[in-house]
Amino acid sequence: MRVRMELQTIDTRGQITSQRLLIAGAAFIGVLMVLSLLWGLFVSGSIQFSRLGTLVWDGLMRGLVIGLAGIGLSMTYSILNFANFGHGDYITSGAFVGWGVTYLIAGLGTAELGELLLVGASGNVYGPQLGIGITQTPVAVILGLIVASLATIAVALIVDRLVFKSMRDEEGISLLIASVGVAFALRYLIAFVYTQSNRGTTNASLVPDWSVPLVDGTLAVDAHDLTLLVASVGLMLGVHVLMQRTKLGKAMRAMADNEDLALVTGIPTESVVRWTWIIGGGLTGAAGYLLVLWRGTLTFNFGWLLLLLIFAAVILGGIGSIYGAILGGLVIGLTMTLSQIWIPTDFARAAAFGIMILILLVRPEGLFAGRSTA
Amino acid sequence: MTLLNISELDAGYGDLQILEDVDMTVGDAEYVTIVGPNGAGKSTVMKSVFGLTTYMGGSVDFAGDEISQLRPEDIIHKGIGYVPQNDNVFGTLSVRENLEMGAYILDEVPQDALDAVFERFPILDERQEQKAGTMSGGQQQMLAMGRALMLDPDLLLLDEPSAGLAPDLVQEMFDKIDEINEAGTAILMVEQNAKEALRRCDRGYVLVQGQNRFVDSGDALLNDEEVRQEFLGG
Repeated sequence: MRVRMELQTIDTRGQITSQRLLIAGAAFIGVLMVLSLLWGLFVSGSIQFSRLGTLVWDGLMRGLVIGLAGIGLSMTYSILNFANFGHGDYITSGAFVGWGVTYLIAGLGTAELGELLLVGASGNVYGPQLGIGITQTPVAVILGLIVASLATIAVALIVDRLVFKSMRDEEGISLLIASVGVAFALRYLIAFVYTQSNRGTTNASLVPDWSVPLVDGTLAVDAHDLTLLVASVGLMLGVHVLMQRTKLGKAMRAMADNEDLALVTGIPTESVVRWTWIIGGGLTGAAGYLLVLWRGTLTFNFGWLLLLLIFAAVILGGIGSIYGAILGGLVIGLTMTLSQIWIPTDFARAAAFGIMILILLVRPEGLFAGRSTA
Repeated sequence: MTLLNISELDAGYGDLQILEDVDMTVGDAEYVTIVGPNGAGKSTVMKSVFGLTTYMGGSVDFAGDEISQLRPEDIIHKGIGYVPQNDNVFGTLSVRENLEMGAYILDEVPQDALDAVFERFPILDERQEQKAGTMSGGQQQMLAMGRALMLDPDLLLLDEPSAGLAPDLVQEMFDKIDEINEAGTAILMVEQNAKEALRRCDRGYVLVQGQNRFVDSGDALLNDEEVRQEFLGG
């Protein structure tokens, strides 16, 4: 007995030591990276401030999208207790429907209605030729954004009604697996309706941009950067106010905290679940639409590819917390772009997941753990 | 006047039957205690009144309405408040938010009820903005009661209100319950601290293996030789 206990102690110690070593190693590499950055900026001049600024700005944009979409994922996780793998394809569904409306309004009279609504599925309509943009066709963009949110809400509610509702009392793992099925079904339904082709949606040369002077050069900011910034920060503030100040928000937090108690307190839990899908879906749809506007391309699987990053953001932020999702999104977004200073662009995703693992080693519960405010 | 009338109730969880032919009544503003050994089904009686168990037969009648098949949400509307034993506050919400949740079914938070709760439990007034999870066990218990009182219920179900409290707090808790009862709210309470509970209440039920065993006034049960020997530790 005694021997076994001692062995166990040694084993735990071994684990702790190796983990410490890993963290210390990572910290050492981090210090080296910072030194090389400073050297590049101030001594050798191999890195320009303007390039650094551009990477930060770029990372901020990605981070906001990931954070915004992450709020929805985090909310459904904390209130329904499962990780929804269908989330990425909710993003895609909303984006396609929303962009269909944008094409329709921007291209009215230039092509067949069906062709426009299907976002140029048969290849006869090219987005960049429609001159879509927040300054050129503001109505088309804003309506498209709203429709993308509404469509995502509709998809979330329909899937919940068809699949998740009947499984409400099941284990999280069963729901998770069901949601993987939902993801595939949705993705290939989208591919069937809209085709698998990658399409351009906006023409970058038509989007007005400004050069902001930055030490040794300029930082290019265009109108779609600002649209993304204003819309996503606005929505994040909105959801913050909703969660902290409104009766519904408090009920959502109460339910995330203790579902059984919420039930005996008289909170109508099914209705809170429905509102969770509505709010989470709306934010998610907006995030997807904004990403397409900002990036200028749309594919049937872009949401799925984004989902892993969203998961990384939500997990490292502390799953269940909306603030954690936002912060995690920014960490992931900035890591992906800033890593390009040291490593090839192809490894941006690897860098993002590396950072996630490191943060979880130091804080296994995530950055916002214990402060889960739905 | 009978407020709550449980008659020949069979109930349990899923396929597992816990209660068998349980009869119990609580009159207007009456203070009733359920005592009995562990696993006797005391908490199950409360949960059954509140619609949280599987109904298997019999009836639960509250103020003339059959409520055995209603959902908790509707039972709250009828005028019953329930304070569960464990995890009975929303730890990540502030004290005030916890109380607001107690009045969720109303369109607006009733200011007079909030004031009444703060008057009864001054500590909650002082700590309105504190996260409930950071308060002591006794304070959390008061918050849980305060939340149940937000709708000024006719009947309050209390599951082990003194569980886990320091001895001096136990007396304070019982005093608070007396006050709530004197203000006109009927109480149905399950307590481990059986002697103290029987001393305070109007009537008591002894429940054994999911069935009624004795029912009498609290004092009579305290003085009953068999009850003393078997259930009150002599």
